[in-house]
Amino acid sequence: MGRTLKTANQIVLDEQKEFKQFRRALRRLDQHSFDKLFTYAKQHTAAISQTSHALPFETILLAINLELLKEIEQLKQKINV
Amino acid sequence: MFELTGWVGDVYESETGAILWLLCSGGKRKKLYLPLSITFYVAGPHDKLRKAWQFLKTAYPTSQLTRTTREDIFIGHREVMAVTQAQPTQHQRIFRSLQKQFPNLIYYDIDIPFTIRVAAEYGIFPLCYCTVSVDDNSLIHKLLPLDSAWDIVHTTPNLTYLLIEPDSNPYHSEPQNIFVTSSKGRIKIPLDSKRLLLLQLNGSFARHNPDIVLTEYGDTWLFPYLFEASREISVSFNPNRDEDKNVIQRKENSYFTYGHVVYRGQQTLLFGRWHVDVTNAMMYGEYGLHGVFEQARVSALPVQEVARKSPGAGISGMQMLTALKNNILVPYQKQQIEAFKAGQELVNGDRGGMVYMPLIGVHDNVVEVDFTSMYPSIIVKHNISPETIGKKTARAELVPELDIYVDQTREGIIPKTLRPLLEKRILIKGQLATLSKKDCRYKVFKAWSNALKWLLVVCFGYLGYKNAKFGKIESHEAVTAFSRHHLLSAKEAAEDLGYEVVHMYVDGLYLKHPAVHKQEQTKPLLDEIVARTGLPLALEGIYNWIAFLPSTLNDAAPVPNRFFGVFQDGTLKTRGIEERRHDTPEFIRQVQQKLIDRLAQAQNGRFLQCALPDAIKMTQQAILALREGTVPLEDLLVTQTLSKEVSEYKVQPAVARAAYQLEQAGKARRPGQKIKFLHILGEPNVYVWDAPPLSHPATINVPLYIELLMRAVHIVLEPVGINKTALNALCINGCYQPQLTETSPLIQTLTDS
Repeated sequence: MGRTLKTANQIVLDEQKEFKQFRRALRRLDQHSFDKLFTYAKQHTAAISQTSHALPFETILLAINLELLKEIEQLKQKINV
Repeated sequence: MFELTGWVGDVYESETGAILWLLCSGGKRKKLYLPLSITFYVAGPHDKLRKAWQFLKTAYPTSQLTRTTREDIFIGHREVMAVTQAQPTQHQRIFRSLQKQFPNLIYYDIDIPFTIRVAAEYGIFPLCYCTVSVDDNSLIHKLLPLDSAWDIVHTTPNLTYLLIEPDSNPYHSEPQNIFVTSSKGRIKIPLDSKRLLLLQLNGSFARHNPDIVLTEYGDTWLFPYLFEASREISVSFNPNRDEDKNVIQRKENSYFTYGHVVYRGQQTLLFGRWHVDVTNAMMYGEYGLHGVFEQARVSALPVQEVARKSPGAGISGMQMLTALKNNILVPYQKQQIEAFKAGQELVNGDRGGMVYMPLIGVHDNVVEVDFTSMYPSIIVKHNISPETIGKKTARAELVPELDIYVDQTREGIIPKTLRPLLEKRILIKGQLATLSKKDCRYKVFKAWSNALKWLLVVCFGYLGYKNAKFGKIESHEAVTAFSRHHLLSAKEAAEDLGYEVVHMYVDGLYLKHPAVHKQEQTKPLLDEIVARTGLPLALEGIYNWIAFLPSTLNDAAPVPNRFFGVFQDGTLKTRGIEERRHDTPEFIRQVQQKLIDRLAQAQNGRFLQCALPDAIKMTQQAILALREGTVPLEDLLVTQTLSKEVSEYKVQPAVARAAYQLEQAGKARRPGQKIKFLHILGEPNVYVWDAPPLSHPATINVPLYIELLMRAVHIVLEPVGINKTALNALCINGCYQPQLTETSPLIQTLTDS
């Protein structure tokens, strides 16, 4: 038993690790936002997996954008725009 | 010649065929002889086959040799040499001798379990009701099975039993007595006189003539102890019903499977009656003796083997039985390897079931629907089998997402094996749904259903297992591809009907709809999903409320399988929390369970907060009990599995340090065995349970147990809106005023809803 390929969750974690140096160079406050972006991606691991994209980071960015857009729309609703 | 009617008991090989113990309807037990010859097949280049033929003719003139054609599902029909022995006991010897001379020939039907051959030839299985015509030499001339393994209603014999158990766990302390229980009563036999012990046991076996011997630690302690005593004082002891045979004793072993190490203790197998050691029976906790009998009936494997082996052996046996019945060759060593794939094909194919991330928080009136035995249903519905996958014929079906076809022309060997199993489980589940839990049949049906479930579960795994006789990774991948497709179809159906998808997990969906809170309102949903997927589906229930929990490391990150909730009928369902974990100390498990029970009184998520004062009080009492040392030490035990030899650990975790203590006490443990220990203060910070008793209970690491307790409490109170700091302040320091308008995301969800 066992899989040859990584799970979507593992892919997100690995991509996050890839940007370790990027994160290090950020201010502490920005680091929190950086971590939050990847938390957004983790909410869509099923969709990332379903895409089977050769470059998974693109799907991670899409998942992050999706959550950001949802947040913008929720904020818009709150201020009745 | 006379006729006998009864149930098939133990069956094993003999010089002339099979010995069959018939559990006669009148109560008698008869040792009968059943003629059976064994055939294996050999394929290869013509000249080599000819040499093999000549070798066998000279070395084993009693072997009957014929040329025939048989089907290898991976290759097609091929010409083979059939080697038949009238003496089953000679089969392995002749094969080994031939293989040594001709290692490059292809061998078939070599390692088929004996009872599977009997089942293929005569249509019988353990506990099959049958009638036999027997001559004066107890030789069976005619055998007629009167029931089928697929009957739900069938007759069962009144099995005589003997239960033997020591008065203490031999791994923990030396037993002083054993208790022997039969239908006539219970006796205590002291272990201080070995002579008396053996004589009394011999008497019990003779008096009760048990069909089944149930023991605790029978494999790993009792029988080895008794045999040694028998040798030491020269008093004979043979627990077999067939006194001509010696018991089989198998050595212990550890092996790696499904991501963890499993330990299987040494075994003692009897002839003529069955020995089941409930402490060494692999899935006994899942389905008990009723489940063992059911697996033996459907797989045709011996009861003693089924009890000790994983369901994988059962499903493998069933596949071999299907092969034998359909004249399909069973490869001895599989020749197939994974087909070449391009990178993108591998990325597309190598995926599991679809796992969503739930919406964190408490949700009311959540409807849970599950596909019934989803993977086996897919295998049967789409005819997925190693010989059907990758065949593009006129009647082939395309697998979604993967560019491969499944041939639908002829039913594959795997669907053919699974179909009756699946149909039987669905029937039993249907019966279960109509029965009250108090009905005496409920427990039996539940055990059968669980036993069949495990066979179905492992069947999918075996499709992708490289050593499985009929496994092929592409068929395994096709099953998960169909499962993702069907789950998404179900999601679309639910969303089209106005449901919100709270969570999806491989074969189950958690949905909510503002207007759906009664079971009968879910019928359109179920009908629509069945119409779109064609797979059987059932409503698991509607939750009054369900809390999906975040990751312990990041409270904004969801995790797929960590939740607890209460159904409308009051049943609780928990996943991924301490209460479900095997290594949680009993005390902590109980506290968490009580807290959930208290929360379960809330009719919906909004009322969860009402349980908070009681929950805090219960936690405070638990902390007090820990601090005052009133918790029994047994309830603080942590149980973990040793994953490798103690010396192989680079960094010594608690379990390895505990195992080391056992080693020092002369009680070394093997990988896969469970180790029980306490957390104590001071090096090495653990104290192993199965060594001499802890001399100073005051050294228990109370702060650590409180930390573990608070972790378990926090998990269940988090959805109520209490964060870790607040909980600790309130329960440990007793100085916190509950702020129920917390702004945590969880309570926010609650407020928003």
